[in-house]
Amino acid sequence: MKYQSLAVIFIIIILPISMILTAYVQNQVKTIELQTSYDTKLTNATHDALNAFQLNAINSSTSDLANSKIRDIEASVNTFFNSMATHFNMAGYNKDILQEYVPALVYTMYDGFYIYSPFTNTLDAEDEGTSYYNGQRVYGLKPYIFYSARYNTGNVDVVITYSLDNYITVQGTIGGNPVDRSGYLLDNIGGTDISRTYRGVPITSSETLTEDVKVTNTDGTIQQFDNCTYVKINGVKYYKDPTGTWFSILNGERYNQGTSFKEQNDAALRYYNEASDFTSWVRSNLNDLRSSDAVDTVTGDRIETTADYYIFRTDSNKSIEDNDSNFNEHRRAIIRYSIEKNLSIAIANYNNYTDVTTDFQMPELLEYEWDKIINNISIISFMQGLSIGGKIYNGYTIVTNTESEEVVSTDSIYIRTSDGQYHKAADTDIGTNITGANLNTDFERKTVTNGEQTLYYYPHEELGCYSSIVSQTNVEVTNNIYEYMADKYGDNPTLVSSYFTALGRERYSMYRTHNNPEEELSKFEVASP
Amino acid sequence: MGDTLITVVAIILAAILMFVFPLMTMSDRTDDVSQLAVETATTEFVDDVRTTGRLSMDKYSSFVETISATGNTYDVEMEAQILDENPGKKTTQAEPNKIGENVYYTMYTSQIMDAINPTNGQTRTLALKEGDIFSVNVRNTNTTLSQQLKNFFYSVTGNDTYTIAAEHAGIVTANGAGN
Repeated sequence: MKYQSLAVIFIIIILPISMILTAYVQNQVKTIELQTSYDTKLTNATHDALNAFQLNAINSSTSDLANSKIRDIEASVNTFFNSMATHFNMAGYNKDILQEYVPALVYTMYDGFYIYSPFTNTLDAEDEGTSYYNGQRVYGLKPYIFYSARYNTGNVDVVITYSLDNYITVQGTIGGNPVDRSGYLLDNIGGTDISRTYRGVPITSSETLTEDVKVTNTDGTIQQFDNCTYVKINGVKYYKDPTGTWFSILNGERYNQGTSFKEQNDAALRYYNEASDFTSWVRSNLNDLRSSDAVDTVTGDRIETTADYYIFRTDSNKSIEDNDSNFNEHRRAIIRYSIEKNLSIAIANYNNYTDVTTDFQMPELLEYEWDKIINNISIISFMQGLSIGGKIYNGYTIVTNTESEEVVSTDSIYIRTSDGQYHKAADTDIGTNITGANLNTDFERKTVTNGEQTLYYYPHEELGCYSSIVSQTNVEVTNNIYEYMADKYGDNPTLVSSYFTALGRERYSMYRTHNNPEEELSKFEVASP
Repeated sequence: MGDTLITVVAIILAAILMFVFPLMTMSDRTDDVSQLAVETATTEFVDDVRTTGRLSMDKYSSFVETISATGNTYDVEMEAQILDENPGKKTTQAEPNKIGENVYYTMYTSQIMDAINPTNGQTRTLALKEGDIFSVNVRNTNTTLSQQLKNFFYSVTGNDTYTIAAEHAGIVTANGAGN
């Protein structure tokens, strides 16, 4: 055979193989590109949603209340889908189409979480209207699910609700008597009811808090008060104007209060007092509870199957608030169990609601992702079923929010110094010129509007420190901030004392569904003459 | 005479077709596969940094190791844009009806390397915060086999010709410093 013929035959064989191989590999590259671009879009949309939630919550004086919170979350869900639609517009997907591929959005909150996913509306005949009817499939927030577990040991039959910090609620019966108590679990509290120490650090028992505030008066003018004295009770701030009248702010408008409040704030002292009482109550009543006693509140299944230990008992090596304490191990297990279980049900159920022919399943989240979820307010978003060439897209994103009034975590206390800056508490080169400590959201921009003009203000004028807030080059990363701060007491007593005082004060003044508002108010009211 | 010439031409043609052509296509595929690997590694690296907010020498080295495994040498450019809200805050404080603009200041590869290079035997991490932007740009610096072959037949050389390139960027969604 001639060389030419050989060459032609060779080409006939090699050319198609090479072409197919080229096409295949390029297809794979395209798929990967598409997948990463979808991942990015999903993360960006989730981040947008979180920003929207944060912005709305910070600027709303009622954001703690459940129905207001639901409104903020629904706005955030809208932002998510709008952002997704904007990002995906080039690919020809609009909001309605995209919704089909999002089986669930999860908003984890302080003591429970919301799942946004479709459900079947159940309505009585008399409640039906044109927009809502029985059996209708609607997208919306499902009821709030608490991070709780039931413990039934015969003598004790309680449901304990956990939260993102060491606050728990105990409801049920102990020895046949009904109980309904909640509070913080803290070891290392010393001193007496009028002068407390925490890890040997004295707590400021009364302090006067001030911040700048702008408010719309009833005549529509916007008034500014600099360094206005305030108290924060059950999530609401009450300010004292120069004439001595106390007022609160609702939707930017001034509401005068009939009563006066104590200018000297002892919330921190109360926090440590109540935590001390509550912890000893838990130890005397629930000391024998073991992790293996925890069962699902609905099904009765055991939650922790591998480990077995006493949850609340005193441990000579660890304090109950330490990250690695038995209590915290158990708390994390319960939170994780309750999210995992409800979410997997919601996503699996999604198969009944969608026309997309994919088997929707909950992906397995990684350990460090659970760490993020368990320590902060977060949004978890899922997107599954989009065709990306060679395969089907299956992605999820977790974005956490560290600046929210929903939870006062150990890193949400910022320290103010006299040089006009605010710092993280674990800033390594923070000086001793401390002027106070506040919650991180107090350094965020707030809005006040009277219909004609919108003004912005910052409750605290200090600027972010460049080494700990803007860039974080000088922040000590520690697993146990309590211990780290207590160790620093010798070098910088003001810092440590203000930190522990602020942590207690802010935790005490948080809004809680379980609080009795009138009782909380009465603690800070000045008795009328 | 004529026959011999044609035979010689045919042998050369056949050699090119039977050896060089397959070699070219195969080396092209190798580059494609390298491209795939580099792109995946880059995305994973950037996403890891942006979801944890932390960049360490450990992460960087393992990323460089992964892309070097493709047999090429790469130029890795990193860029971290750090969000600074202070100028915006100053503007708003001076004029309460304006939302001040936030400013980003940028750290480039050498500054980032300075921040993560271990000093005195201590490993260091660069902590980013929520709102910062992190991006990575990777290009090959050597001439790959397919580039060499192409250059042999038709010249595509230039100073910054590269065939394997990947970039990925995104907003940081976690606070790296923790507390």
